[in-house]
Formats: sequence, structure tokens, C-alpha cells
Amino acid sequence: MALHRSRARAVAWRLAGHLARGFVMILVVTTISFLIIRNVPGNPLAARYEKLVEQGMAPDAAARAVEVLYGFMPQGSLWDQYVGYMSGLARFDLGESLMVPGSPVSDVLLSATKWTVLPVLAGTLLSFLVGVVMGVYAAIKRSGVLGDMLAISGSLLHGVPQYVLALLLGAIFTTLIPILPAGGTADILYEPGFDAAYIGSLIEHATLPVLTYALAGYGGWILAMKSSVVTVLGDDFILAAELRGMKRSIIFRYVARNAILPLFTILALSLGLLFGGSIFIERIFNYPGLGLMLIDSINNRDYALMGGAFLLITVAIIVANIVADLLYTVIDPRVRGEGETA
Amino acid sequence: MSVTVVPAAGASATVRRNFWRGVWRVMRRKPSRMVGAAIVAGFALMGIFGPLLYPDPLPRDTQALYAPPSWRHPFGTDFEGTDVLALVVTGARYVLLTAAVTAVITVVLGTAIGLFSGFKRGRWDSVLMRLTDMKLTIPGLPLLLVLSTIWKFTGAIEMGLVLGLLGWGGVARAVRSQTLSLRERGFIEAARGLGLSTGHIVGRELLPSMAPYIAMNTLIAVTGAVYAQVGLFFLGVLPFEANNWGVMLNLAVFGGGALTTTAALPYLLAPLLAILLLTLGIVLVVDAMDEIFNPRLREE
Repeated sequence: MALHRSRARAVAWRLAGHLARGFVMILVVTTISFLIIRNVPGNPLAARYEKLVEQGMAPDAAARAVEVLYGFMPQGSLWDQYVGYMSGLARFDLGESLMVPGSPVSDVLLSATKWTVLPVLAGTLLSFLVGVVMGVYAAIKRSGVLGDMLAISGSLLHGVPQYVLALLLGAIFTTLIPILPAGGTADILYEPGFDAAYIGSLIEHATLPVLTYALAGYGGWILAMKSSVVTVLGDDFILAAELRGMKRSIIFRYVARNAILPLFTILALSLGLLFGGSIFIERIFNYPGLGLMLIDSINNRDYALMGGAFLLITVAIIVANIVADLLYTVIDPRVRGEGETA
Repeated sequence: MSVTVVPAAGASATVRRNFWRGVWRVMRRKPSRMVGAAIVAGFALMGIFGPLLYPDPLPRDTQALYAPPSWRHPFGTDFEGTDVLALVVTGARYVLLTAAVTAVITVVLGTAIGLFSGFKRGRWDSVLMRLTDMKLTIPGLPLLLVLSTIWKFTGAIEMGLVLGLLGWGGVARAVRSQTLSLRERGFIEAARGLGLSTGHIVGRELLPSMAPYIAMNTLIAVTGAVYAQVGLFFLGVLPFEANNWGVMLNLAVFGGGALTTTAALPYLLAPLLAILLLTLGIVLVVDAMDEIFNPRLREE
């Protein structure tokens, strides 16, 4: 019982440390985003302000209108602008979008988020299942040709950037054998709703993005699982089980259960990685998630939206890192032990 | 002094000869590694001499826009009738020059910070490692994208500089952990016991034993730099000044519609093939280096 409580305390301390560090990181990222928006060439804030004043708006009202748009005042000292921007962020007020006139950036981002999160989750799940099974196989057959091939396929897929995978898949399935749609979320023929045609079209359009996420994640899983299984195979308790004449299938279950533990921490990291990769995949398949939003906002000089998309993607990755490290503490008994003695 | 120097030089020559013999043995055991080394060398030559093989500007065949692959144009032509293979070969210099600049900055900064941090320990170590962690956690691509709005880092040197300054975190971490473990070993303690200077210990004792790690991390940094710059140009957030693989990808997909029509497909596939080949070469070379420098991995 005492042990249990001290373990809980260790995890709580670690959590507190991570939250503090995560907070600092988010502060750094928001500061970067503020400085970039403020220093964009051509000073869009001042230009907007001048234009509004020229159109006959009172200077006060014009300043307020610009503040609504970008989240901070066009004039004033750097510090005042910074404080204004940060206090807006604290209220989730990210300004207003230019690309989607009249709607707050937070609304635009919220509607884009689902188009990133769902394909990323589906792709991760798929690559996790396939990669883990193949990883076990590659570990068992590691001195054979097939094991070698699997490991090399893993290294290659792990090494190749996501946009190369996406472009190759696109070239194969939309150009050479045009069986899948080249972009968008669903055919415009169908009304969004709970009917078979619309959902079928949704799935059809999501196939290529999901497949790309899955292939991009697969290499990491197979490599991690292979090295984890090889490590566990060398452990004494496996040798002991073999010496006791245990059935191979039961030994296999021991191995798999012990080898899969460390992989759950990679799950969180991989989610973060794919979130970043969404920029390429969504651009290539014209899929309206956060990544495409970031690119579109840069190309359309919608700096408030750019700042918001940048923050959301970055914060998602930072949070994934924290979750991965916490999972590591909870799952791996050795790390847990360290936390207790410290 | 000269008495000790002569045998030391002789010994190091023997060590070096044994090292190359080991390299040869590892390379010979798996032919795939030879292929890897050949691919990497081939790309290096392409980057150095490639642009010399073609006239500048590249000839345009206005009669053959998006021509299909043929003997004259093995990968077809682009939207202006320029030979795609020539574009890939001449574009390699930009890509590899950037990668080289990135690698140099990454290695110098990463090694210096890692060594300093691991050797000094204490307060500087924790400050530097916090910084490194921060750099490693902030995702690079979104940062590069928003940075491109205020600074158009299009030139090869500028691009290498940006990628290098953003990318030294991994090397610094690896070097620091190596330093921490090496500094407790007997030979470092012996050097310290002999009263040798810190410069000697770091330069002559620590660095040589870490060289393989640094070399492998350099190769990984090179691949990262290639992907990042090609990706940035592909996304089209930077102005196109010179031809390179990323520009080709962008023009093929968003200009030529390579994902909807087959005409521009060779134009898309050629730079992709170049990236894949380079990756394959580097993966195979890293695999060979892993075995050369880590005797425990050797399967007999």
C-alpha cells in the first residue's frame, strides 16, 4: 500500500514537472508566432488600419477592427501588443480569418481539426496492428532472408519522407490505375448526412490519406517491435521457460506481452509525428485539415489563421510528447522504480 | 618527446590499416552495403560534376512538351520541353550543397554543445539540455513554414543555415550521453591522472572514440536536410530561384497535374526516384557503419 502511494506520488511529481515544462514550451511557441505575425513584411496590420481610416472610419474604431482581426492592436509598444495577443489567446480568441470572412479563427480551426484527427487515428491504428505483427515475425526470422527483407522494408519506409509516400500512392491509385479520388473529403454530389452514399464517398476519399499515414507509421513500429522482441528473447525468464520445456506458443505469448509494453510510448510520439506530417498529406490529397489550413493561410496571407493553425499543430505535438513520457513512467517498471528512489 | 611520437604514429597507422580492413570485411559480407556506398558516391559525383555536363540554361524542345519517356529523354520532358533527367542531375547540386551545409553546422554545433554539456555537467548542462529538449519538441516543419513568411531563405547556403540551426538537437543529445558514459571509463581517468590538459582529453581521447556516432548522426542529418528542403519547395512557400528536386515536384503536381493525368507522371517520378535512391544508399551505408563501429552487432 505504501509502495503504491509513493508510486502515485512519483507519477504526480513527474506530471507536474511535465506540465510546467509544457507550459513553458507553449509560451515559447506562442511568442514565436506573435513575433512572426508582427514582423511579416508589408505590415498587414498597419496596412489594414490605414485602409480603414481612409475609408472614413474613426481611428479608434479602425484600431479595434484590426484588433478583432489579428488579435492585437496595430499600434502601441511591442510589450503592449504582446500582452494583448497573449490575453486574447488565454480566452481562445485568435482573431478573425480573412479567408473565411467574418468567422473567428478558432471556429475555422475547430472544423478543420476533425479532418486531421480522424485519418491520423485510423492510419495509426492500422500501422500499429500490421507493424507489430510484422515486427514479431522479423525478430523471429532475423537471420533469414525474409526477416532481413522485412527489416529493410521497415528502415526504408521509416526513412522515406511522408510526402514521397503520398505522391507515390497518389501516382499509383489516382493516375495510373484511377480507382480512388484525387482529393477532397467527399463527392459534392452527395448531401452530407447519415446515408450510405455519402459515407461511402467519405471513406473512398479518406482511403489514400489513411493509407499514407499507415505506411509512414509502419516502419517505426516494425523496427521498434523487432528490437523489443529481440531484447526480450535474450532475457533469462525466456530461457528458463524454454528449459522447463514450455510449449512454444505459450513462450511466444510471454515474449509478445513483454515486448509490446515499451511500444505504447511510441504510440503517442507517432501520433504527434503524423500530426506534423498532415501538412504534406493534406496538401497532396487536398484534404481540408489543419495542415492544409496552415499552407492555405500562408499562401493567402491570412496571418491570424496561420498563427492559430501553427499553435494548434505545435501544441498537439508537445502534448503528445508529454503523454508519451508519462506513459513511459506508468508502464515501464524500471523507470517507475527510479522515480520512487528519487 | 620525439621518441614517444614516432611509435605512437606507427601504432596509429597500424590501427588505421586494421580499421580499413574491417571496413572491407563488413562491406564484403553483404553486397547490399557496397551498393549503398556506390549510390552515395554516385550522388556526390552528380552534385559536384552534374551541372558541368549540361549547357546552361538547359536546352528546351518546344515541340515536345511533357514528352513521354524515350531514348532521347529517358524520363520525358517537362512543361517547357526540358529534359527531366537533366533537371534531376543539375538539381542535385542545390540539394546536396544544402545538405552539406546543414551537416557541417549540425555536427559542429551538436558536437560542441554535447561535449561541453557532458564534460562540464552541472548548471550549464541542465540549461543546455533544456534548450535541446525544447528544440527537439518544437516540430520543425510548421516552424519552417511560418518562418518562411518573414524570411525567404531560398539560397542553398541560407537554406542549409536555417536547417542546421534548427537541427543540431539530436546530435547534441547523442554526443552528450556518449561523453557522460566515456568520461567514467578508465582511459579518460588515466589521462586525467596524468595531468593532461582538458583540450587534450577532449580532442585526443574523447572525440576519436565518438567519431563513429557523430558520423552516423551526420548521415541522418543529411537525409533530414534533403527531405526538409525538398518538402519546403514542394509545398511552394518559398520563391523558386534555381532548379531543384522540390521545385520539380511542385511543378509536376500543382502545375502539371501529375496526380490526375499521366502526361506529367515521369516528371513527378524522376525526382521521387532520386530521393528514394539517395535514402536507400544512406540507409545501407548507416547499416554498414553500425556494424563496423559496433562489434557486438557482428553476426559471425
